[in-house]
Amino acid sequence: MRVEFVEALQKVMRADSHSLFVTGDLGFNAFEGIRKEFGERFLNAGAAEQNMASMAAGLAFEGFHPWIYSIAPFVAYRPFEQTRNDICLHNLPVRIVGNGGGYTYGVMGSTHHTLEDLGVLKTLPNMHLHFPCTQNQVEAHVQQISKLMAPSYLRLSFSGFPSNAFALKENPQTLTRTYSEGAEVTLIGVGHAVQIALTAFASGLIDESKVGIFGISKFPFDLESDQDLVEHVRRSQNVLVIDEHYLAGSIAESLKMHLPNAERFRVLAPIYKNTQAYGTPKFQLIQAGMTPEDVSFLLSK
Amino acid sequence: MQTPELKLAARAIRKKLLDMHYSVKSSHLGTALSEVDILTYLFGTFLKASDRFVLSKGHGASGAYATLDHFDKMPKGMIDTYYKDGTKLAAHPSPLALEHMPVATGSLGHGLGVAAGMAFGSRLAKTQKQVACLISDGELNEGSIWEAALFAGHHKLSNLTVIVDFNGLQGFGKTSEVLGPEPVVQKWKNFGFETLRIDGHDFDQLRKSFAGAKRLKPLCIIADTVKGKGVSFMENTLEWHYLNMNEEQYQKAVAEVIS
Repeated sequence: MRVEFVEALQKVMRADSHSLFVTGDLGFNAFEGIRKEFGERFLNAGAAEQNMASMAAGLAFEGFHPWIYSIAPFVAYRPFEQTRNDICLHNLPVRIVGNGGGYTYGVMGSTHHTLEDLGVLKTLPNMHLHFPCTQNQVEAHVQQISKLMAPSYLRLSFSGFPSNAFALKENPQTLTRTYSEGAEVTLIGVGHAVQIALTAFASGLIDESKVGIFGISKFPFDLESDQDLVEHVRRSQNVLVIDEHYLAGSIAESLKMHLPNAERFRVLAPIYKNTQAYGTPKFQLIQAGMTPEDVSFLLSK
Repeated sequence: MQTPELKLAARAIRKKLLDMHYSVKSSHLGTALSEVDILTYLFGTFLKASDRFVLSKGHGASGAYATLDHFDKMPKGMIDTYYKDGTKLAAHPSPLALEHMPVATGSLGHGLGVAAGMAFGSRLAKTQKQVACLISDGELNEGSIWEAALFAGHHKLSNLTVIVDFNGLQGFGKTSEVLGPEPVVQKWKNFGFETLRIDGHDFDQLRKSFAGAKRLKPLCIIADTVKGKGVSFMENTLEWHYLNMNEEQYQKAVAEVIS
């Protein structure tokens, strides 16, 4: 999603002279174009994420709209208190961008996995979370964030079972997507985790006539505007959520709280094991039991 | 303002501080008394209306409130709400509560990064603002202070002034014994700051140190101060970070401050 992010951000920065891009010393082979085009509106803050967050708050106090970027765990966890105190308490338009949601960084190891970010950040006042489903949805998120005069977090991810499928429908406000409209089960993918379901769907592992596949990609929810999803749950009474995030604090957990009660509500999410091994994002998902086949199996139960 | 006027202002602010703390039984009086002269100089002379101030040592909020009130930089009567139910003047600064001190602080190590961003942003926007940030010596323990110092020094943020209220005491001991900050002047110099060490209660030295406004680097003023300054039984003591006054102590403190 990083390529799509760069392209979308360039459009935003051309249109908004108050937008700045700040990186925590990352972006090789990605941000050279932004650096060249925008000059002093590109800033490398160094490998100093706490200061990057506080400093971005200071920039926002002066009327700028900074986008601060790093690998997702580094920008979500290290400066958490700076995000809370300096950015969120003042409701400043600082756009935090984390690359590598879930198991994106696979063999880079546990320190680079990002399986708590949405849970941690969704607790913060004024914070808006954006977690695109697919590459082709990144620009819509970047555009929405660029109009938001409040704190936000954009989670860029790569799935071990990649799909860039287009949806049947997309709510222009909530960006919630409908990929299939079968009525018996409501299958909800949280952000890029929906790609596991889409891969299962493309492989014929999901019966389109039985399963409604939805992709959600924003928090706080706006379920008033997402009546398609709400009505689907009311009818199916059978929900399965796929979330590439630990269950505690997950978006799946929040869905359980906000969606209408359903007779069945199941979540497919990873757990941390002290004995776990490392490999590609696909390997991590297989190890975690989050494959298209696992989804198909759960739907058959 | 000239030095005699500044001294009178500082005296009135200290008296106000004692009234505030006594009336609501609040703590952090020692640290507020140590910073009064610095704040008096900042708001009485140095800072213009459009400039920025960040109180990174948020536990010194009452000193800043009393100073802002003295110089009519907060709504009239607001000071009377200090520490009371419904107030915006909490023990640590609240977000966007005051025009001249908009940044919420209280967790050490945050303010300098925000101030550095303001200084960088002002330079980028060509708005010519001066940004002053008051930090404590205990706050030098925080790694984020040094991240911000590295940033400010690297970018030569010459519109940024850091003042270290160096009273030698922190939460549970002497700064020299907890995580010794010395050689503190050399440290800031090494991070790219023009650095001066002065008596933080001497207005002539404060004036002289702030005067080098046309500099090429950020400025760090190590202001040696006395915690509890002006009240003999509070001076250089740890406990007056936490205690509040009984009537006898209040009367004695007031008598000393106004003498």
